[in-house]
Amino acid sequence: MKYEYWFANIKGIGNKTKQQIRSRVKTAEELYNIEETALKKMEVPKETAHKILQSVKDWKLEAEYAKLTDRQVKFYTIFDESYPSGLKEISAPPYALYVKGELPQEEQMSVAIVGARECTTYGETMARQYAETLADAGVQIISGMARGIDGVSQKSALEAGGKSYAVLGSGVDLCYPREHYALYTRLQQQGGVISELPLGTQPLAQFFPARNRIISGLSDVVIVIEAKEKSGSLITADMALEQGKDVYALPGPCSSILSKGCHNLIRQGAGILLSPKELLEELGIFHKKKMENKTENKILLESPEKLVYSCLDFYPKSLNQILEESGLAISALMQIIINLELKGYMKEISKNYYVKVK
Amino acid sequence: MFSTVLSATLRGLCVEFVHVEADTSNGLPVFHMVGYLSSEVKEAGERVKTAIRNSGMVIPAKKIVVNLSPANMRKKGTMFDLPIAVAILASLGEVNLQESEEMLMVGELSLDGRIRHVPGVLPIVMEAKKRGCKICIVPKENEKEAALVDGIQIIGVETLDEVCQILRGEKKMLQAEEEFKEVYGDAQKENSVDYSDVHGQKIAKRAAEIAVAGNHNLLMIGPPGAGKSMIAKRIPTILPPLTKEESMELSMIYSIVGELDEKMPLITTRPFREVHHAVTKSALIGGGHVPKPGEISLAHKGVLFLDEIAEFQKPVLELLRQPIEDHQIRILRERGEYLFPAEFLLVAAMNPCPCGNYPDRNKCMCTTTQIHKYLGKISQPLLDRIDLCVEVEKVNYEDLQGGLQEESSSAIRERVCRARVIQKERYQERGFLTNSQLSVKDMAEYCQLGKQEERLMRQAFEQMNLTARTYYKVLCVARTIADLEGEEDISLVHLKEALNYRMIDKKYWGRNEI
Repeated sequence: MKYEYWFANIKGIGNKTKQQIRSRVKTAEELYNIEETALKKMEVPKETAHKILQSVKDWKLEAEYAKLTDRQVKFYTIFDESYPSGLKEISAPPYALYVKGELPQEEQMSVAIVGARECTTYGETMARQYAETLADAGVQIISGMARGIDGVSQKSALEAGGKSYAVLGSGVDLCYPREHYALYTRLQQQGGVISELPLGTQPLAQFFPARNRIISGLSDVVIVIEAKEKSGSLITADMALEQGKDVYALPGPCSSILSKGCHNLIRQGAGILLSPKELLEELGIFHKKKMENKTENKILLESPEKLVYSCLDFYPKSLNQILEESGLAISALMQIIINLELKGYMKEISKNYYVKVK
Repeated sequence: MFSTVLSATLRGLCVEFVHVEADTSNGLPVFHMVGYLSSEVKEAGERVKTAIRNSGMVIPAKKIVVNLSPANMRKKGTMFDLPIAVAILASLGEVNLQESEEMLMVGELSLDGRIRHVPGVLPIVMEAKKRGCKICIVPKENEKEAALVDGIQIIGVETLDEVCQILRGEKKMLQAEEEFKEVYGDAQKENSVDYSDVHGQKIAKRAAEIAVAGNHNLLMIGPPGAGKSMIAKRIPTILPPLTKEESMELSMIYSIVGELDEKMPLITTRPFREVHHAVTKSALIGGGHVPKPGEISLAHKGVLFLDEIAEFQKPVLELLRQPIEDHQIRILRERGEYLFPAEFLLVAAMNPCPCGNYPDRNKCMCTTTQIHKYLGKISQPLLDRIDLCVEVEKVNYEDLQGGLQEESSSAIRERVCRARVIQKERYQERGFLTNSQLSVKDMAEYCQLGKQEERLMRQAFEQMNLTARTYYKVLCVARTIADLEGEEDISLVHLKEALNYRMIDKKYWGRNEI
């Protein structure tokens, strides 16, 4: 295995070339001990051959491999049996995968939930609902562990007791963004953290578009919650379409620029997300009773509270706006705001800006 | 011949009396000035000599020595010009000085012998009266200011020649008029701004009312152009009127920095000081070699407004912590300690994020990290000293055009004054005036809660992520709201309103729920 690890880590050779060279020999050990002439015979270009030979000299075989085991990182190449079969079919499959935790189970359905980092509360709430429902139905949630939609949906899936897998744009031993450290550790226990990048690779912007192909490659369906007109989530959706996967997008108000990307997707023929329940039906999952009761939770409120609640939205509204719309007196309104907040119907997301939660 | 003239200078807010002595004797013609002088006082020599000559008098070729005593105290300022000139003239026998201990003079000389105004006349005259002086000769421009002090004769003079005539008895001493002493009552009404100019913004106005009623510091959050400064500017109009003592105290501070109006020297309205975020430490709290009062002292008894509080440098803001607690600022310098009063209501304003539009995600392009960092710039200890926090929203067109008559400042002020009276009575034995001064220990006594109220607070504490500090602030603000309503006990209504004004929590600011 240490030879395989060495070969996967040679810098400057593309995934495809590596795959070609490696397929010519039985084990990576052969390549490690190979002569220059033998490489020439295999029609390996001169430069590539040079890189291989040079890395044999530089690479500390034992020490490097020890790092992998020390950090409890699992390592798979494309020739491994456990390498996800879905990934092999995409146009540029990663040569190797590094995994903390485990890989998604092939026999289970996987859905990717992706979206904007700077999302609205509407997006956040919806991401949570879809992730919970899907996780509850035994679907594995794949995403990028980014801020915003990604993180929220993965966290919700884990909280609903489901499994979730994150594909990172950095080495699998680094947690980015830092504030998701709790999620990062929990994912390793209840799913996995996956990356094609060698250990210790910093999260640079250039890695993220490429990791999106792995997100879509690992999933059967991709759903986009919120995306601006130009968004990384749309790359994931494009890759999914290229790979022949189904794409669903969540509609929002036409005025919201964070729903524009989703609307464009729908115009191009993506499925429209109307409710988690309907999505399950479309995916052919006939799911239990539990969730249904949950979403149809009756709202038990007194009449002035109902009035204020009806003024609320998933998009933030200010106290002043609610004051005008409800026509209540300041003091009376403030009473109700606190009541609703304590009952968990709404949330203050910025000073005196409120969104409904249920 | 030897002569001496009484004058005074300022050390912080304290007045120090200085004897200006002059002696003329035969010898080589020299002019010496001694007595630990700073350069502006040393330069006085040239001004004085020229001014005397230009006033038509001659300085004979004699040895002249001038001493400013006590000689171990550093003398600064230009107020010694006039006393030096008079002392020299007296030593030459040009004028008569009798009872020099009963006459104090200050003033800067111009080369042609005219007398120019100097700062700090009011406190100097005040102290002179306490010392037992009977006459004060001050520049004409400072006359009205000096005349604020009763029971001492004030003579405003324009030229050195005039002073000589008065001292020779050729001209009558004219007592300064006191016309403006009556002005005090009227000036109160003359606020140029009023809350009735602010349309809409009901919630922010209500928060301002509560802030003033309990003397709670206030933070306003809102996008640029929402009217935060407009609301802040009008807070002095709902503060209780200044008492005469407060008015004098303020006028003294303004006299020292030379900001008094020549025509209307008495400060009759509460100050509103807006501080720019590039302010330096010494401009804010006071400073200089011999420290002068800074913005916080100029905001004494009034409002200190920090706009864009997130843009201030942290070390500058940190300096506000002590004066907010102690209502005064202690500045330590090599030559001793200076105390300036600084009892102000702190009103701060900020944008919710670097661009100002959060949480409107259609406009705000800031990342969550940026938003989080933005609030992180304000020092936590300072936030801890702010009791009320409110959002100020951009006004819409209907509000601007709305023919609705908005409540006037005087109506709000009436409610505020009533609440202040209640507080004053309640805390009579404790020696403080407002709810904002309640310590945690006092709260157990003055902010008792019923069973229902306690249940609410417990629930709020657990569900709204309150910290111990915000918990007490909510109690304190609820106390003020109850006082505004004239109610003895804090009820659910008061607590719930207070909860709406709770301080934002840095930890959860602009974060997704994760």
